[in-house]
Amino acid sequence: MRAPGWRSHPHPANGSKAAVMARRLLLLAVWLFPLLALACGRTALAAPPTPADRLDLIEKRGALIAGVKSDYPPFGMRDGNGRLIGFEADLAGELARRLGVRLQLVAVTSTNRLQKLEEGAIDVVIATLGDTPQRREIATLVEPSYYASGATVVAPPNSHLSTWADLRGRKVCATQGAYFNRPMAQRFLLELQVFNGTRDTRLALRDGRCDAWLYDDTGIVGLLADSDLANYETPLPSMMVSPWAIALAASERGSRLEQVISDTIADWHRSGWLIAAEQRWAIKPSRFLVDMRELWTRLQPDGRPLCTRQSKADGDQWPAECRNRFLLSSADVDGIQRFGLLLKERAGFDVSIIHDAYDRSLFLHGLWVTLQLMVACIAGSLAVGCLGALAAEAGLPWLRGLVRSFAALARMTPPLLLIYLVFFGVGHVIVSRFGWTFDGAAIAIVCLSTYTGCAIVSALLDATAVLRQQQAGFALRWRTLAQSLRLAYAPVVASLINVVKATGMASVIAVPELVSAATAIVAERGNAAVMMNVLMITYFLLVLAVVQFFNLLERRILRRGEH
Amino acid sequence: MASTEIVDLLWTWTPFLAGGFAWNILISLVAMLIGTLFGAVLARLRLSGPGPLAHASLLLTELTRNIPTFVFLFYLAFLIPAEFAMAGDLYAFPVWLKASLALSVAVIGFVSDNLFVALQHRQNRNHAATLLFIPSWTTYLLIIVMASSTASVIGVGEIVSRCNVVIAAVGGDETMLWVYTYAIAYFLLFCLPLNWAMGYARKRLLARIEAAAS
Repeated sequence: MRAPGWRSHPHPANGSKAAVMARRLLLLAVWLFPLLALACGRTALAAPPTPADRLDLIEKRGALIAGVKSDYPPFGMRDGNGRLIGFEADLAGELARRLGVRLQLVAVTSTNRLQKLEEGAIDVVIATLGDTPQRREIATLVEPSYYASGATVVAPPNSHLSTWADLRGRKVCATQGAYFNRPMAQRFLLELQVFNGTRDTRLALRDGRCDAWLYDDTGIVGLLADSDLANYETPLPSMMVSPWAIALAASERGSRLEQVISDTIADWHRSGWLIAAEQRWAIKPSRFLVDMRELWTRLQPDGRPLCTRQSKADGDQWPAECRNRFLLSSADVDGIQRFGLLLKERAGFDVSIIHDAYDRSLFLHGLWVTLQLMVACIAGSLAVGCLGALAAEAGLPWLRGLVRSFAALARMTPPLLLIYLVFFGVGHVIVSRFGWTFDGAAIAIVCLSTYTGCAIVSALLDATAVLRQQQAGFALRWRTLAQSLRLAYAPVVASLINVVKATGMASVIAVPELVSAATAIVAERGNAAVMMNVLMITYFLLVLAVVQFFNLLERRILRRGEH
Repeated sequence: MASTEIVDLLWTWTPFLAGGFAWNILISLVAMLIGTLFGAVLARLRLSGPGPLAHASLLLTELTRNIPTFVFLFYLAFLIPAEFAMAGDLYAFPVWLKASLALSVAVIGFVSDNLFVALQHRQNRNHAATLLFIPSWTTYLLIIVMASSTASVIGVGEIVSRCNVVIAAVGGDETMLWVYTYAIAYFLLFCLPLNWAMGYARKRLLARIEAAAS
């Protein structure tokens, strides 16, 4: 047998059934406790550890940390040296100059920008963030807005789209975190394929993984400037036009920092600085900025500017005429369930997957996809492992060498890199040569199965070597495979459990599984503590179920072996 | 893309990517350190004979075995704040440390199981079998180095996220293929020799054990 120290993840099946059950239950209790503690403690932990005002912190630090986009030209992008530049980076620079501190730029994505703000990693977000009532609940959105955009689609040439209804039920690519993803999907029944970043979505559209890309109309210019999307078109009118806001952490509402930034933006509108910045970046002139300049320079009959702060009694706000009136009302909470809302109101836990039908279906679909991934990866890994071992033992020395070296290489390749390489690198070459596209889930299954299967090949070959010592003339064939598998049971099962745990990696290529679903819900609602605990517990229970299944199987096999 | 162009591109970005790989190694070593410390405590407790401590230790070990590292990475990234204030001073909680912590959970389970077996061998004065822990530990380090690439999903500037930076800065379709392949080469060059060396060490130790038994 193997060296005793080898088994990396043994799952012993000793003890009576009842004792095992009791242990599992205890285990679950031990597990749930720290989770809940973390969830409750989060409010204490994550409560802004800052001095009374973030502005003091910024001055103490001597730097303003601003989150901008790196993949949204010309608003936020990287130059040839990897530095962050763009329209919004300029805004951040001007803001820092006015505060009299250095500027430090951090690249954020639509998914993580509000999260980074909430956890205090950055001071402000200037990253194409649309102003919505829901976002106002999880962050402080500074008024006035500095830009505005709507949703439209980019489609390949000759897409024959004339109305939004033409997209009903079709696959549409989208970037995670965009405010219009959910309402547009609901209104036009789009089948959204949600990717993590603009680059990934662009590649998916170009490779024909979807019929169109649901995108911000301001980003289109930068997008179509790219040579490989040059002939693409924007056949549909913009929907859901939304102003863009600079965002601060939720706790900054009414703070000095908010006021300083708000005054700065007002100045920008009055002086035409934003229009000049827009021209500098060769952005198509926006109607919004022209209208805002007119509004913010308009005078009242008595000669005073219309947009001046009201007295302290009125909350020191801008007058209603100068505020965002056209806020969206996407908070359509249908299928309300009392329990979920009760939890939210009483305990402050926003378990949106209970009281919100859209989040619930997103999560349940994620669960279903994850289950399928798990089963497919187990089957795929076993198939790769068994076929590989059979090929290596087929009696052809060159084939044996080939299988062995391939297995060694594949085992030392990080599966995440393999997934990127196959999905984006190889996937594109195949599309451009043969016009074939592969489903992201299929690619994830193949990559994870190959990685795990190669570990199983080694385990089976080692077991075969032991069997050959015990029985002269033993050869690994289809009929004797079961014998090797039984001997290599522990390492094979350990590998299979590892692949089950790794299925979340499929989220990096927009497979709509549990991790994708959970992060999408967090990006929209900001209920990170609840969703992460739900995700963790769900995954944990799934892994536990798989472990139990293999333990049961082991007992069955051992019993049969005794007869 | 001509092959000279590709070589040129990769050569230009090599310091940047190599720096990223150094982060992978650092994250992995810190994860191994944390995991080994806690795992060793668990293994020691499991040897303490029958009792509540040994039982709790076994439970904790089982718990760490069933936690999916990738999901736990997201968990910690979302739930640990980025900055702590202590006595008026600010302390940053770096995101790479979150990655190390997430990875260390798997290490705890591994060390607890394997060191437990090794310590049992030491009690039985079977020193060669005890030493088997060293190649196993090193092989596990390699698994963690590979898993450290997942830190890119929470924004650690290690080699995979630096690949994406390079791809974004350079553009072009074939760039992707070559940059990712080049990154894989780093892992292979680091892991394969160590893996072979540990395989050899294990073989020698097993031979010694067999010789001692016969």
